[in-house]
This record gives sequence, structure tokens and C-alpha cells, in this order.
Amino acid sequence: MSGLRTAWRHLWPWALILALAVPAMGADYALGKATLVITYAIAGLGVVIVVGQAGQIALGQAALVALGAYVQAVLVGHGLAPLLAMPLAIAAGALGGALASLPARRLGGLYFGMSTLAFALIVEEVLARWDSVTQGAAGMAVAGFSVFGWRADATLAQALVSLGALAAALLLCARLVDSRHGRAWRAVRDDEVAAAACGVSPAAAKMQAFVVGGALSGLAGALYAHWIGFISPEQFGLVFSFELLMLAFIGGARRLGGALWGALVIVAIPQLIAVLRDHLPGDWARAAGLELVLFGAVIVAVVLLRPSGIAGARP
Amino acid sequence: MKTLRSFALAALSCLALSAPVSAAPGVNAKEIVVGTVSDLSGPIAMLGVPVRDGMLMRFDEVNAGGGVHGRRIRLVVEDAGYDPKRAVLAARKLVQRDQAFAFIANMGTPVVMATMPIIVDAGRLHLFPFSPHRATYEPLHPLKFQNFAPYFDYMEAATRHMVEQRGYARTCLLYQDDDYGLEVMKGVEAALARLDRELVERTSYKRGATDLSSQIARLRAARCDLVVLATVVRETVAAMAEARKIGWEVDMLVTASGYSAQTHELGGAAVEGLYGVSVLPHPYVEGANSQLAAWVERYRARFKAEPNVWSVMGYTLADLFVRTAEATGPELTQEAFARTLERMQFSRDYFGSPSYRFTPEDHLGNRHGRLAQIRDGRWVLISDYLE
Amino acid sequence: MLAFIQVLTSGIAIGCVYGLVALSFVLIYKATETVSFMQGDLLMVGAFAALGLHLGAGWPLWLAAALAVAFVGVLGAGLERTVLRRAIGQPHLVAVLLTFGLGMMMRGSVASLPAAAQEVHRLPFAADTYAIGPLVLAASHVWVVVATVVLAAALAAFFRYTRAGLALRACSEDARVAALMGVPVARMHTLAWSLGAALAAVAGLLLAPVTFIHLNMGLIALKAFPAAVLGGLTSLPGALLAGIFLGVAEAVAGLLLPEGAKDVVPYALLMSALLLFPNGLGAGLRRGGGR
Repeated sequence: MSGLRTAWRHLWPWALILALAVPAMGADYALGKATLVITYAIAGLGVVIVVGQAGQIALGQAALVALGAYVQAVLVGHGLAPLLAMPLAIAAGALGGALASLPARRLGGLYFGMSTLAFALIVEEVLARWDSVTQGAAGMAVAGFSVFGWRADATLAQALVSLGALAAALLLCARLVDSRHGRAWRAVRDDEVAAAACGVSPAAAKMQAFVVGGALSGLAGALYAHWIGFISPEQFGLVFSFELLMLAFIGGARRLGGALWGALVIVAIPQLIAVLRDHLPGDWARAAGLELVLFGAVIVAVVLLRPSGIAGARP
Repeated sequence: MKTLRSFALAALSCLALSAPVSAAPGVNAKEIVVGTVSDLSGPIAMLGVPVRDGMLMRFDEVNAGGGVHGRRIRLVVEDAGYDPKRAVLAARKLVQRDQAFAFIANMGTPVVMATMPIIVDAGRLHLFPFSPHRATYEPLHPLKFQNFAPYFDYMEAATRHMVEQRGYARTCLLYQDDDYGLEVMKGVEAALARLDRELVERTSYKRGATDLSSQIARLRAARCDLVVLATVVRETVAAMAEARKIGWEVDMLVTASGYSAQTHELGGAAVEGLYGVSVLPHPYVEGANSQLAAWVERYRARFKAEPNVWSVMGYTLADLFVRTAEATGPELTQEAFARTLERMQFSRDYFGSPSYRFTPEDHLGNRHGRLAQIRDGRWVLISDYLE
Repeated sequence: MLAFIQVLTSGIAIGCVYGLVALSFVLIYKATETVSFMQGDLLMVGAFAALGLHLGAGWPLWLAAALAVAFVGVLGAGLERTVLRRAIGQPHLVAVLLTFGLGMMMRGSVASLPAAAQEVHRLPFAADTYAIGPLVLAASHVWVVVATVVLAAALAAFFRYTRAGLALRACSEDARVAALMGVPVARMHTLAWSLGAALAAVAGLLLAPVTFIHLNMGLIALKAFPAAVLGGLTSLPGALLAGIFLGVAEAVAGLLLPEGAKDVVPYALLMSALLLFPNGLGAGLRRGGGR
């Protein structure tokens, strides 16, 4: 029973948010948003592992999401059941993560961060050029998610499927973080030389973190492909990578729960601004850049005022 | 556990309350709500802002004149910045929170493809999106209507016309490597195939490219005598300027995306002689008929900006909506609107637009463009709409 | 052959712009150990500032350009004083996110000006060409190269002969030792940001006649990052040379390699250089030369 109570302590703020959001926005809108928040949170978990746990700079995480999304879309397009395609999408993300982490054997810190950026841009270009499979820059439509004839068309179904995936991901991550691997990641994050002296291989630990982060990105990508229904290479560009990075940072990169809070903020802010704007008088509120300015301001404010994120320890 | 159950009950009752009350969402005795998922801050914000302003202008006029059958039209604009993730949420907001009756001029293929199912599944009209994708009008769907001539159709006609009339032997293509460029490529290839010719050379650039010198060098090496440009304004100017710089006097033909007053304002002498396809003429004040001149004045006064071809486009789209809503009568529903639009014919107006016509079998309002050329620093129309 | 040389000259000119942006990035990184992801936005703001002062306020072009550069320099200093100072000594990601957020705010602010956002603009530079035999050079390209050479010389002189320049260098080598020697380290950080921002604005002005002025012109910074890294992140001449190298490589790849290769070349080069020379090309060359 005490386990249930701790779970409830973590869950009640979310239940409250949903309870407020549904009447305020309407069920479809609220659930649609919840679906996206959860999907972002899964990808964000990957960033939390790589950035928050293993302490690496990852500037190209969206490319791993893209790998998952494209593998899912292509396989489902060829008639494979979405549920069967998903493990392969996850594997593609993990494989991409392993590839992206290879330069870490030789590079550290910022140089490695730059190599992930280059990796992401190369992936984007390959997706755009390999048009016999990916339909290139024109993009490809993706069928809805379905299991044994049951189709997740309703927003409620989509939210529940995402929630199931997130719960599985969270459980897995919680176990990993508490395991030998998690300790190795944190040791590498805090001091690579000391970690190596204690028998932890920094290269192996970084690669494991990237594999886990990539798998989570792949899962998020597979869901994303179904929920959005249309994918094209440009969607997974630098902006998406930075959104994920900001997500982890705003939520609190050191805690798994940070991914959820961060996802909520990242997805909700543009929407909140849009709703507020409708109530503002005058023409200036229609100005195109307003959302961008406010979004940027929130990021700057959070980084300055809550450097360890919403879920992080108080300073 | 008790709290949980009461929470679930509360959530359920909210679900029930939010179900639509009226038979036609977005219409009540006083107003009609129209939504648009636009791009005001992304890569095609240059289109998004004037299109929005053009629509606002037309709706303001209607509202000032007492509305459509006594109902005011309210335009709710969401900015998705070409990002389908934001677009999906924006569309859900417009469908549910704002109860939009119809969506007009949603912008960008990723945005349109991601939001279209949400919109039509909710039973709302999906009108005149800015996307060359065929799914916006084919296969026939009772709620989907398109009036932008497809790149494939009008570039096929324009290329064929140019090659036949002027006897070009070596046609080449410079294209933006996205869905837009690929559609143009298919059209050009189809035109050449009909004339038993082939595309001699094709080369692409990535959106946002800085320098086109290597592409132009490639095309020159292939000894092209007509270069079709699937470019937007900036790259159109860059391509012409680069060719003229190295002394290559080749003819170029740009799609309607490069048919803009900005092309000659930016390009100056370098773009003199450029051919382009127009699906709607630019509203030049000089030589304008009195109605158009008055329209330009009103636009300037309202938005403190010069109108361009996209402003006219926005105005026209809003006008098509208003006229169809008027013809539908006071009992306005999505179904009634769609069946009325299927019988509508819009004849050519003072802007010089093509005639748009819809039928129950064909929801694409126009397939034709006309040729224009930059002469003495402005676009001059040199043919009628090409069949 | 002529076509090749022709394309080469364009590559050099564009490469100079890459190089200048990379230079601004490295200048900041060296002095303050912070990574700036807003150089592209500063570049765009600089170009729009000149445009506004010239076309909007009606000032002569040279004055508008000079004031725009000064304005962006002051903006950089102001941001350092208020916001970016907090990132010093923190993990790299703090600066990355702060500058990305600030960049968004700058882009949003410019986008909010209806007159600015809707159109592509040009500064009334002459669109002349110079002919050297059969070779034709665009005036804008010549300008870029000349300005880059002048700027590089001026910067070299600044770092070698002026007090501020020497102090800045001392700061970059070792901030603690510099502080002990009486160098006002905090002021030097402000100076570095100010210089870095102003350099980006200059790059924006030089780019203006080539690609015109528009909201997304800052995307060019995406090519400057590989240049900065290729140059070794801490070498100013390295950044400039790597920028030019990338510009040339890109142009030549566009001409000779199969369709589509052009856009991957900078990143593929970056990847391979990173793996071959983990401390940057500059270090790799130096090591090779020393042996």
C-alpha cells in the first residue's frame, strides 16, 4: 500500500493538471496535448539519461527520434503491424545512438557535442536523399496506430498508448539508474579520470547511455510518426534537438521526472501563449514574433533562476 | 480511492459537457468562426503574413456591411511556423476551443498533411490550403476543396508552351529539394516527354542555401538553353544574377513562387527578361483599373504595407468563402456549404484572377497559369491562362 | 577550367563569411569558455539594424553600417553584463541554452516588426562586376574578401599591440593568472562578447549583398560551427582559414561531386577531421609540422 501511496504522491499533480485542462480546453484538445507531452517526455527521458546522468553534450538527439519515426513509418507502410514494427524502431534508435557515441572514444566535452550535431545533420541529409525508401524531402504519410484491428484514432486511445509506453520507459530507466550502469554514468559525469581509475570504462559507459537514450528516442519517434501522421526530414532538425535539450534542462536533467515537467512546459508554452494572445486587445498581439520572444524568455529565465530545473533540488 | 472515483466522475462529466451543442459547429446567430493554421514566423512567413492580412481585410469589409446573413465572420489565426507538431495542437485548439466552422489557407505541406485528418474527421471544411500535395483535393472528399493550380499541371503547360513556341532544344531544371521542387520536376518531365524530349540536366539546392554558383556552373556546362527554376524569390534572383555575372545569357522560367514584385525589386537589371508563371497577377498601382487602385489604397491604409500577390490571394480566398456562404443561405452548415461550393463558378475579377469553378466531381478550382516576363523592371503578362 | 576557377572565387567569398562568424564564435569561446549559439541571430540583427537606420531613418549607408555594428557590439556587452555572465564556470550546456534562448528572442523581436518580417530586403550596394580577363568577379564577393583581410589584420594588430588586446589574450590563456597580474577579467569578458557580437554583425553586413537581408539569414552560422571546430575552437586564424576551406570545399563539391553531396560536405569533413585530429585541424597540422 505504501508503494501505491508514493505513486499517488508523484501522480496527483498530473491528475490535477489533466482535471483542470479537460474542462478548460475541451477533451480532444487536452488529450491531444497530453499525447504530445507524453511522447516528448519519452524522448526527453533519453536526453536526461545522456545529458543528466552521463553528463554528455548531445546536440543531435532529434536525429535518433527521426530514425525511430522513419523505421516505423517505412515498415508500417510495407504492411507490418505497428506493434511489431516498434521494437525495430527502438532498435534503430539504439543503433543510431551507438553510432553517434563512437566519436566519444576520442573526443570529450564540447568536441563530442559538435560531433553529435554533425551526426544529426548527416542523418537529416541521408533521409532527404534516400528517396527510394524515405520518399525524400517530399515526406511520407503514416497510417494510424492499431493493434489486432483495434485502431487508436481517438485522442483518448492515443494518450493511453503513449502513457503505457512512458510508464514502461520510466520503469526501465528507474531500474537502470539505480543499477551498476547508472552508477557508471554518474561516475563518468562527475569525473572521467576518477571513474577510469575506479575501473569504469568511460567509453563503454557513454555508449551505453547513448544506446539507452537512442532506444527511448526511437520509441518516441515511432509514436510521433503515428500521432502526427506525416513525417519529413526537416521536422527533425536542429530546432527539435534543441527543444529536447531545453526540455531536459527546464524539467531538471538530473531526475527522471524532469523529462515530464520539461515536456509539459515545452509543449504547453506556445499553446498557452496562443490562448492568452486571443484575449489580448489590439493589433500588436497579432505580431508574428511574440511567441518566439516569450518562449526564449522563459528558457532564459528558467536557466537563470532554476538552474537545476523544475524537478531538481532547490538551490 | 474515493477521491480517485470522484475525480473520474468529474472528468467524465467534463467530457460530456464539451460535446458540441449546435448542429453546425462554428456558426451561431451572431457569428461564423473561421480558422487558419498559418506560418507567421517560419520559413514561409513571407506568404503567411500577407495572406492573413488579405483575409482579414475581406472579412472586415463583410462585417462592416452587416455580415453574411446577419452573422459576423471572425478569423482566428494560429501560427504553426511550418512545424507539424505545433500545427496538430493548433488545429485541435481551433476545432475544439474556438469551434471553427471552416479552415482556410492552412500553410505548408507538413502542416497540412498533419492537420487535415483532424479537421475533416471533426466534420469541418478544409478549404484552399497552401500545399501542392494532391491529397488536398484527391481522392474526392466532401469537405476538402483546393483552388491553387498544381505545380505539376501549370508547369507542364508552361514548359510545353515555351518549348513549342520558342524552340528550345536543351531544357534544364534548378530546383529546391523539397516537395515543391519535386512536383515541378514531374511537371517539366511530363511536358518534355509529350514533346519527345528529355531533361538535359537537373541540379538542386537546399532551402536557405547561400550560394548558387556551383549549380549555375553545372547547368552552363550542360549547355542548357532554357532553365526552369523551381525556386522562391531569393534563389530566383541569385540564379539569374549568377548566370548574368558570368555572361551566360540563358532564358529562365520560374514558377509562380518566384512571380513576385520582390523578384525585380531585389534583382534589378539582372532579372530583366526572366519568364515566370502567374496564377494571379501582382497588384501594380501603375496602370491599375480604378477598382484595383482603390483596393490598393484601402490595403495600404489598413496595414501600413504594400500589398503583394499573396495579399490578393488571401483576399480572394476570403471572398470565395464569403460568396459561397452567402449563396448557401441562412441555414449554414458544413454540408450545405460544401454542396453549394460544388455548384459555384467565380468569374474573373478586377484583380485579373483566373475563373475558379468547382463541381461535385472536381474539388480543384483552377489548373491554369499564364506566362509573364520581367520587362523594364516589372512583370508583364504575355499570354492568357494556358489550357 | 574557367568554370572551376569561377566557382572557386565564389567559394572563397562565402568561406570568408563562414570564417568571420566562426571567428566571432571562437573569440567568445576562448575568452569566456562559453559557447554561443546566437551568432547567427546577432548577424541577422546587425543586418536589419543597418537596414533600419539607412532605409528607415534615412542615414547614409556607411554611417548606418558603422552604427549597426556598434549597436550589436553594445548589445553583446549588455547581454554579457546581464545574462551571460551567469554562465561562466557552469557546464557548457548552460551557455548553449542561454544563447539559444536569447537568439530566439532576437529573432522573435525582428519578426514582430511587420515591415521587417514579410520581405527580403536589400541594401543599395552596387551590383557591379569586375572582369579580370575571362574571369568575372561580383563586387559583393570582392568586398567580402577585402573586408575579411582588413578585419583579420586589424584584429591581429589589436591582439598584438594594444593593452586591451594583450589583456584579453592573457585572459584567454589563463583567467586566474591574468587576474593575479591585475587584468580586470570581468571587463575582458564583456569586451570579448562585445567584439564577438560586433564581428557577427560585420559578417551580416558583408552577407547582405550576397543573400539579401531576411529573417533566416542567420542559418549561415550552422556552417560556421563546423568551421570553428575544424579550426580547433581556440585558434582565431584557424577558424578563419577553416571557414574559407569549408566554403571552397562546398563550392567545389557542388560542381564536381554527384547531386546532393554539396550539403553534407561540411559536416562529413567535420566528422572526419574530428576523428582524425581530436584537438582540431590546427593542432593536427602543428603536431605534424613539429615532427
